[in-house]
Amino acid sequence: MSATLEFVRASRWYGQVIALNDVTTAIGPGVTGLLGPNGAGKSTFLKLAAGQLAPSQGEVKMLGKPAWGSPEIFHRVGLCPEADAFWEQLTGRQFLVGLLRLTGYDDAECRQRAENALHQVALLDAKDRKIGGYSKGMRQRVKLAQALAHEPEVLLLDEPVSGMDPVNRRRVVELVRRLGREGKTVVVSSHILHEVEAMTRRVLLIHNGRILAEGDVREIRDLMDEHPHTVALRARDTRALARAVVVLPHVISLTFGAEGEWLTVQTAKPDELYGSLAEAAEQAGVTEMYSPDENLESVFRYLVAG
Amino acid sequence: MSERDTSRPVPFARAVRAMFDLTLEGMVWSRRSVLMAFLLGLPIVFAIVYRTVLAAHLPPRVTPFDFYGGIVVFYYLRFVVPLAALFYATALVADEVDGKTLTYLLTRPVRRESILAGKFAAYVATTLSLSLPAVVVTFFVLMTARGRAGLGGAVPDLLRDLGVLALALLAYGALFTLMGVLLKRPVIPGLLFLFIWEFMANLPGYLPRFTLTAYLRSLIRHRPAEEGISEIFGQVLPTALCLEVLGGAVLVCLAAAAWIFSTREYVMDQ
Repeated sequence: MSATLEFVRASRWYGQVIALNDVTTAIGPGVTGLLGPNGAGKSTFLKLAAGQLAPSQGEVKMLGKPAWGSPEIFHRVGLCPEADAFWEQLTGRQFLVGLLRLTGYDDAECRQRAENALHQVALLDAKDRKIGGYSKGMRQRVKLAQALAHEPEVLLLDEPVSGMDPVNRRRVVELVRRLGREGKTVVVSSHILHEVEAMTRRVLLIHNGRILAEGDVREIRDLMDEHPHTVALRARDTRALARAVVVLPHVISLTFGAEGEWLTVQTAKPDELYGSLAEAAEQAGVTEMYSPDENLESVFRYLVAG
Repeated sequence: MSERDTSRPVPFARAVRAMFDLTLEGMVWSRRSVLMAFLLGLPIVFAIVYRTVLAAHLPPRVTPFDFYGGIVVFYYLRFVVPLAALFYATALVADEVDGKTLTYLLTRPVRRESILAGKFAAYVATTLSLSLPAVVVTFFVLMTARGRAGLGGAVPDLLRDLGVLALALLAYGALFTLMGVLLKRPVIPGLLFLFIWEFMANLPGYLPRFTLTAYLRSLIRHRPAEEGISEIFGQVLPTALCLEVLGGAVLVCLAAAAWIFSTREYVMDQ
């Protein structure tokens, strides 16, 4: 495997806080999951890879060049950042066209590429609506579209399906897998094992700024099953959702959120839950879904202690 | 699909143009522009009030041209133009940092200097298009208040005023762009600069030469000092010196801002 992205003894600290500590790794074509609880150093890893931060020590190379201070790499690299931040007054199409023009395309090609990218994330119908009026899931998808629009060889995706409903989550997972099959280098960060597992089997486990393990996701899979898994769902009709979910055999408990919009489901079999959730989610109008990271945190505690 | 040279950043001029267009869209239709359009356009209301109410009651020696000159010097040059520069230019980068949208710009194959240049160009275009028409309308409303006699002779002064105000927007804009990339919270230091530091322009001796106001005011031919309204504007600096200092300030501030912006890390909190 030829390395597209290389970290050589790279460290990064903010004042006295070490965010990434002496990391050496090489990532090549295909999908690689960057898995770790919040605060583990995933975002710092991606910011170093995307040249947003300079390493305090060591080297970070993207496509053979130092990631920091080499703007030309962004002809071939796309970043989907975690922050839910946009120029709210722009439409989805204006947002993409504006950024594509900064990538050096002429106006006609910008429009064409913007349409293609919006089509890939199923936002073509909403292309002329202002981003300020988009739902959380649509905002996630338009953010992904700007990373895809110039067809980069390398994609850095920071929590790309966070907040998406199950249908679009599945669509994005399939898109990431396809990009990996096409030979692109895709690095996806997440704190949810099942999310990463759906996209790839190759993972980097990161915890407290260190790479704890690299390899096949199945090896930590068994550990995961020993811990109850929590999924939070936001729906138009939480009662209908609860009725559909409570009958599933692997559900341990259900909790309604304070304002009645959220339902928290605890399960011992997350795979089965995700598998059977799609139909129930559609009927109850699920608009958002996320998994708090306590599940993964417990696995990491186990690994570190072991 | 077009062939692009992907081994280099996008050419500077092309990147500046793209950044200019992207910034202009958000800048023109912002709440900041509504407020500044109001403040910059307010003298038109003063002029209409003067024309309809005051002109008949003021002694003949207070001419419409005096009134216009006072508006240009005291309102535009000393107050609202620097304020517009402060609010727009300090926000060029700070807004992107606060809104966490800077990441989108910094992950494009463009030199960071071109991002700043495009944004500064959009600032100049926006502030010029808000301020200069208001000055022109104010001028004509006032100068035709007592007939059209003398209007033609005053037009060169109008053109000169427009040039000086444009220069003021460039000079203050460059300085506040520098403050915007240098400081995390640039507005308060900017206000202190405008209303305390720049006050030195009214002091005797050499101190006024450390202010932008002294050079800009010296370029206004019909400043009130010539009419004897105020003795506090003691110094009139040579035009060539004013242009050199102001031009130098623009270049130095923009170069420093571009250097800082291109070498600085911007950490967007999640």
